[in-house]
Amino acid sequence: MRQSLINEGAMGRNLVIRRLGGIGLWLNPLFAYFFLWAPILILVLFSFNNSRSVASFTGFTLTWYSNILNNMMGAESAFSTEIMLNAFRNSLFVGTVATAISTVLGTMIALAMARGRFRGKPLLDGLLFLPVVIPEITQAISLAIFFKVVFDWVALMSGERIFPGFHTIIAAHVTFNISYVAIVVRARLADMDPQLEEAANDLGANPWQAFWRVTFPLILPGVISGALLAFTLSLDDFVITFFTSGVGTSTLPVFVYGLLKLTVTPEVNAISTIMMVLSTILIGISLAIQGRTASRA
Amino acid sequence: MTTFDVELKDIVKEFESGGGRVRAVDHVSVQIEDGEFFALLGPSGCGKTTTLRLIAGFEQPTAGRILIRGRAMEGIPAYHRPVNTVFQDYALFPHLTVEQNIMFGLQMEGVHKREARKLAAEALEKVRLPGVGRRKPHQLSGGQQQRVALARALVKQPAVLLLDEPLGALDLKLRKNMQFELKALQRDVGITFIYVTHDQEEAITMADRIAVMNDGVMLQVGTPKEIYERPGTHFIADFIGETNFIPATLKSREPMGFGQVELLDGTHICAALSNTLAATRGPVTVAIRPERIGIAAKGTAQAAGEETALDAILVDSQYIGTDTRYTLRIADSVDLVARVQNVDDRKADAFAIGQSVTLYWHPSSTTVLDH
Repeated sequence: MRQSLINEGAMGRNLVIRRLGGIGLWLNPLFAYFFLWAPILILVLFSFNNSRSVASFTGFTLTWYSNILNNMMGAESAFSTEIMLNAFRNSLFVGTVATAISTVLGTMIALAMARGRFRGKPLLDGLLFLPVVIPEITQAISLAIFFKVVFDWVALMSGERIFPGFHTIIAAHVTFNISYVAIVVRARLADMDPQLEEAANDLGANPWQAFWRVTFPLILPGVISGALLAFTLSLDDFVITFFTSGVGTSTLPVFVYGLLKLTVTPEVNAISTIMMVLSTILIGISLAIQGRTASRA
Repeated sequence: MTTFDVELKDIVKEFESGGGRVRAVDHVSVQIEDGEFFALLGPSGCGKTTTLRLIAGFEQPTAGRILIRGRAMEGIPAYHRPVNTVFQDYALFPHLTVEQNIMFGLQMEGVHKREARKLAAEALEKVRLPGVGRRKPHQLSGGQQQRVALARALVKQPAVLLLDEPLGALDLKLRKNMQFELKALQRDVGITFIYVTHDQEEAITMADRIAVMNDGVMLQVGTPKEIYERPGTHFIADFIGETNFIPATLKSREPMGFGQVELLDGTHICAALSNTLAATRGPVTVAIRPERIGIAAKGTAQAAGEETALDAILVDSQYIGTDTRYTLRIADSVDLVARVQNVDDRKADAFAIGQSVTLYWHPSSTTVLDH
């Protein structure tokens, strides 16, 4: 009799522990996602807030979105739609050129890494991931110093002074984008049967024809998704752009930062929300292309 | 002077491997005639696929020469060689339709699109797969993809068609059917086939001649009958079909390719010598196929005058439908396997385990191999 009571007690305790464990497992992702998404949700929410203050949500409005387009701003801010649109154009220009260059170079590196046989390949392969893992601020400062050293040297040699501008921003964006493109294309190449290139050669295609008629069509989804990723990273980049830009070459993120120096206005929330939606769409397309072709292969 | 379709002259191929060099093909020389169905047979890693890739031009030999239709192939890239390959996993272009796959090689030659389309349709007809031109390779079954790969290579009308274990990925029944079809197709188109396989049965049933390879060395080249009946080495006798090996000592060579050998218990028997036998006397191995051994109850004296007769004890028998497999112990605890066809149901269990029997065979059924 006693024995069975003790057993029942132990069983009850086990049950409580299991219940608590269950609740914990349920709470864990809830908290994790709350930390992930709460700031962003607040940003999006307040971009629709019918009040200049972020103290409380007083009602829904699209005023801030229309303000962005109509050059209407509070008295305390120096917001200008013209300057914003100009910054956006700068972003698109830098993004497009940097994406084009890094897509070509990144694809070429991926091909060399996947098909080439040369000394030191494992080391180069590892170095490819470096821009992905090193802190962005480190890369930004190193690029700023690099440009200064090079420009000083050029000035010394030729007497011509080069100033930072779009070329430095684009060069900087290319340096980190190459890695991302190469990694995505490389994954695609790894899935591709190298015998297909041999089959093309066997059927009379020289290496050039084999590349354009067989290899390239097969890795194209990887190339496109790498390019979309590069474009998104380029559009969103602030730190590296900030350190390598010159006068009059502010991109959209740099422009937003400039606004923040004055005050957090609801217009900044609205611009940030638009940028977030744009980036999400681009990354979504990139992932969809990768996923669709992966499941078919 | 005859020119051969394909001629390999003392080919050596070495690969770098972790600092060392591995010799995949070791001084291979062979001549393959026009219109021949030639099989390269050997276990995996024996160098047969490397040999094929050397002919195709995917690899360059470390030493030696390759001639195709009398023309030296040094420095000629794969895309300029008059050979085409059917790959093991077919290597069909997944982004192209079946028709585009077959037209690919023709378009590389500059054949006009309309003409190429016509030839592609004919090629599909030839491999008995009409009407699938619009489909993508992944919509076809393995056997169908196999046929498309064949059509894609044959449509180029190569001097030589190279086939790398083309039936390896198919299931057994389909494989049997495709063996017949491939052989018929080869007779029909009259193109030289070089066929790589590790399946000895496939090589024997399809090939005009077989080259057996092991460790990069071409051990023996001959017709399926020669390879089966007179294997040149212990390895070949073991690799192709089932073989009993009896340790023995060669006492003397006799004319007509026979010799006297002494078994371990002192019995002398007459046996046929392998053409490549190096030993003139001393330890050798006598090989004999299970189906060549006859069994008779002891004392019934079935052995004819020139036949070899040996006493044995039946230690095991296994009924396998068409045949019965007997395990028989001769002197010195050497076990032999004999296969007797079950021509009627009384014969199937004619002998009892433990029974003393007499084994008999004709000396020409044996092959004396170097130890």
